[in-house]
Amino acid sequence: MTAAPAAPASPADVRRSRGRARKRALNGWVFLLMAVVAVVMLYPFYFLLDNAFRTQTQFDQQSGHSLAGWTQLFRDLPVGSELLNSMIVCAASIAIILLVSTTAGFAFAKLRYRGSGLVFLLVVAALMVPLQSIIIPEYVNLAKYSLINSYVGAILVYVALGTPFATFLMATYYRGISDELIEAAVMDGLGYERTFLQIALPLSLPAIATVTVLQFIQIWDDLLVGLLFLQPGQRTITVGLAALSAGRTTSIPALMAGSFISAVPAIVVYLIFQRHLVKGLTLGMGK
Amino acid sequence: MVIALLGVPIAQAIYYSMTNWNGLTATWIGPSTYTRALHDPIFWRVLENNGLLLLAIPFAIGIPLGVAALLNEHVRGWRFFRSVYFLPTAVSWVVIGMVALQFFALDGLMNKMLADIGLGSFQTDMLAGQRSALVALAITFVWSMLGTNTIIFLTGMATLDPTLTEAARVDGLARRQIFFRVTLPLLKRFIQFSFVITMISAFSALFSLIFVMTGGGPGLGTTTLEFFVYQAGFAQGQFGTGALYGIILFVIMIVVGLVQLRLIRSQDGEGW
Repeated sequence: MTAAPAAPASPADVRRSRGRARKRALNGWVFLLMAVVAVVMLYPFYFLLDNAFRTQTQFDQQSGHSLAGWTQLFRDLPVGSELLNSMIVCAASIAIILLVSTTAGFAFAKLRYRGSGLVFLLVVAALMVPLQSIIIPEYVNLAKYSLINSYVGAILVYVALGTPFATFLMATYYRGISDELIEAAVMDGLGYERTFLQIALPLSLPAIATVTVLQFIQIWDDLLVGLLFLQPGQRTITVGLAALSAGRTTSIPALMAGSFISAVPAIVVYLIFQRHLVKGLTLGMGK
Repeated sequence: MVIALLGVPIAQAIYYSMTNWNGLTATWIGPSTYTRALHDPIFWRVLENNGLLLLAIPFAIGIPLGVAALLNEHVRGWRFFRSVYFLPTAVSWVVIGMVALQFFALDGLMNKMLADIGLGSFQTDMLAGQRSALVALAITFVWSMLGTNTIIFLTGMATLDPTLTEAARVDGLARRQIFFRVTLPLLKRFIQFSFVITMISAFSALFSLIFVMTGGGPGLGTTTLEFFVYQAGFAQGQFGTGALYGIILFVIMIVVGLVQLRLIRSQDGEGW
């Protein structure tokens, strides 16, 4: 393979072409390995879809397809209304999170007032609180104000959990906007409110997108909060699905079909906004 | 508002953790609840599960490191592979658990594969044994963390100065040596970050996975602290006990966080 052709070739040429051949072979191996990992990562999704189109007996034998799983799913699980519940809870939570985190983030980044450093530290500390540590008192508190019979309780908990990180992220982003720009705008008589609304907010759209995507996936995929704070009629699709699987009554194909339906919206959001998601993850490092 | 919904409950949780409380009436007991918990074999059994889950972390970090190193070679289609690996991040633990359940089942895919490669005698119902169920849980966990950690390391590798590895190559270091002696030390910060993320997930994000896959069983085989909070509080109605375990979990997380912060600080001081 690497033998030099009849034409005079310097040793350096030979070495270079040999190196290139080795590099190509190496790339081939790397590609193959990557493909294997990809199969490992993707196979479960194929399995999910494949077995959603089976009856229980077809599932046991792993052959044949049918729509029985889907009909059973729609009979056992109010798919439509639960999807709607997911949307309502997500939209309301994200709206509040954005409202709080953009304003608070801007304030932390651009306004100096007494104790702002301390408050910011508290917000960052809140990032460390695991949900399980506060869930019981939270439950009792919200029950006291009878907020667990509506969407409100769950939405409040999602907001409390999502806001610290969102605020941290927004503050980091606003710090990147030059102070001169903000000051110039304030000097021009815009005032802080309008400076925020007309200048800072439009500039921070990428960060807002990141927060939205992160929170959407988090809330959409959550089980614990929804399980405890939502009544059966208000359950999100993820919670409904988990409850269904715990019930042991339904067939596996129906569960697979339900899994598929519940996963699709988050996957679509992921595919469209992938870049923002990655950015959010790495921004957390605070560089 | 954040303080009202996060700070106040922490204080309440500390109070409740010292009471004997079934949801209706709370009787003050005092800090002795903690010493009693520390003498409770169930507590140690649960903590043991958390400890064993830690053993999964080297895999949850090592495998993505290798994958990221390969992706960083930028072979054809590496962007596509990156998206594929990251996909589980978008999918809920409920769905992941549902599929994993089928994979590990006695007549599931794993056992079928074992039979196909002639290892039929190794077929087991992993979810039926206490230890093996935890292993199954850990494998699923490592699988779904792969994308997240790979992305973190890829980001880290992108920040590295390519002239450094180039210089090492000129100096005659083999690829493997370059990876271990040049790239890896420079990635330290990113490895620490992914360690924190992985550990936080292992201790506080696996509730749904456990709920769907094993329900904490068999026995206490897969009941971790976070699941125990739910078990004690909502399944058995012992809110006080649940709150207590929540506080213990919180303390563990804070300690880990502080140690982490220390490590990062001290390194910045040295200016590595």
